[in-house]
Amino acid sequence: MKWKNETKFHITGLNQEKLLNELSKKVDLSEIERNAKNDTTFKCSYFEHKKVLKVLKNKNVNLKAVEHEGVAFRVKQLLSCYGLIAAVVVISVLYFLQSGFVLQYEVSGVDRLSAEEIVAFVKTENPSMRTIIDTETVESSLMSEFDGISFVSCIVKGQTLVINIKEKLMPDEMYGEFKPIAAKKDAKITEINLISGTLNVKVGDVVQAGDELVSPYMIDTSGNLKKVEAKAEIKAEVYNEGSVDHYETFIEVNRTGRTAVLSEITLFGLEIYNFKEEFDFKMYDVEFEETSLVKNLFLPFKMKKTVVYELAENVVESKFDEVKEEYIEKARKKALENCENCDTIKDEFYTLRHLAGVTIVNYCIVTEEVISV
Amino acid sequence: MFNFLNEIKENLKNPKGFELGNFNIINISGYLLYVEGHLGLVTLSKELISFKVKKAVVVVEGKDMILSELSDNTIKICGQIKKVEQI
Repeated sequence: MKWKNETKFHITGLNQEKLLNELSKKVDLSEIERNAKNDTTFKCSYFEHKKVLKVLKNKNVNLKAVEHEGVAFRVKQLLSCYGLIAAVVVISVLYFLQSGFVLQYEVSGVDRLSAEEIVAFVKTENPSMRTIIDTETVESSLMSEFDGISFVSCIVKGQTLVINIKEKLMPDEMYGEFKPIAAKKDAKITEINLISGTLNVKVGDVVQAGDELVSPYMIDTSGNLKKVEAKAEIKAEVYNEGSVDHYETFIEVNRTGRTAVLSEITLFGLEIYNFKEEFDFKMYDVEFEETSLVKNLFLPFKMKKTVVYELAENVVESKFDEVKEEYIEKARKKALENCENCDTIKDEFYTLRHLAGVTIVNYCIVTEEVISV
Repeated sequence: MFNFLNEIKENLKNPKGFELGNFNIINISGYLLYVEGHLGLVTLSKELISFKVKKAVVVVEGKDMILSELSDNTIKICGQIKKVEQI
């Protein structure tokens, strides 16, 4: 873009020298160039081009082109873009209108109260026009609506309503989620240390997993129910059991050692070669193995190997007395698996139950644990 | 106001008392011709530009000439100037 404000005229016609002499008396001309006998171009200042046009209008010349250039012309061109001007005006009006509204709410200082609830209440109870909104009314309405507020101050900052809240201080036991304490295991209660809440059990009670031990409320001297956080440490004897069955006669399946191998080579999943050993096993077990024969991916030859193992059934007879200790230990290990985070092992014992051909070993480990969750 | 051409005229000797105030022409390196005191353009083309001065016509011959400026009193000719003749 050229900065100099100029207008270029292109004229055709007769006796142009006379015309140029007349023009030069009113306007300074520049870059006058005769392109052909009756064809001339010249320039003048953009601010004086109307004078030139006025002279040319009364003369017998043909005005072929008028070209403007320079900053002033560009500015004038922009100003004459009515669509653009209309858009700027509309946007300005919309911006002015929306600047009168509170668009954002900022709540600070809330811990127990919900900021979303406060914002929703302020939105419904108060106008959103910035000029109409009365911060004192907002403060008083919040104080009356929410019991947990000790102090509140509001200011309108730009298009944001800033609500600063100080919550009421409450006793420690009144904080929390107000959920009851439940037993995490089946147990017999041995010790209770209640901190807050209402106790539903006593020492010696047998409870099941999930039973409510402490409720999250208290009843004051006036008989009013008040929500508090349930806090207690409840210890109990937990019976952790593990059980193993012993059969005097059972069938054991083992591999005999005889095998048969079936191999096949494939390319892109299609079988191109196979080799099969014949076998006549009545019972068998099968294992598969697939390996690539080449490393490159252009020809992915693969070998699939199937190994068939012959199986045989054996009837095994076992007397419980001979393997008693081994089975008791197995049952104990199972019982120990249930003793997660146990504090103290108080006692352990086992019981044997003899049925027809079966002996059930039941091992029990008694632990003392905190069962309140 | 200081005028360079008037200073030259005052310093040059003019024993015959010619009239020196009619027009001035300065040829700069044969590519730019500055004219003061013209009375109107007579001919305009790329090879020939002529204009009137008091009691005469000045003819400028050259190549690819344009009038880089034309005002009521002055002319600036730009191009390859071959000859300036007063007739």
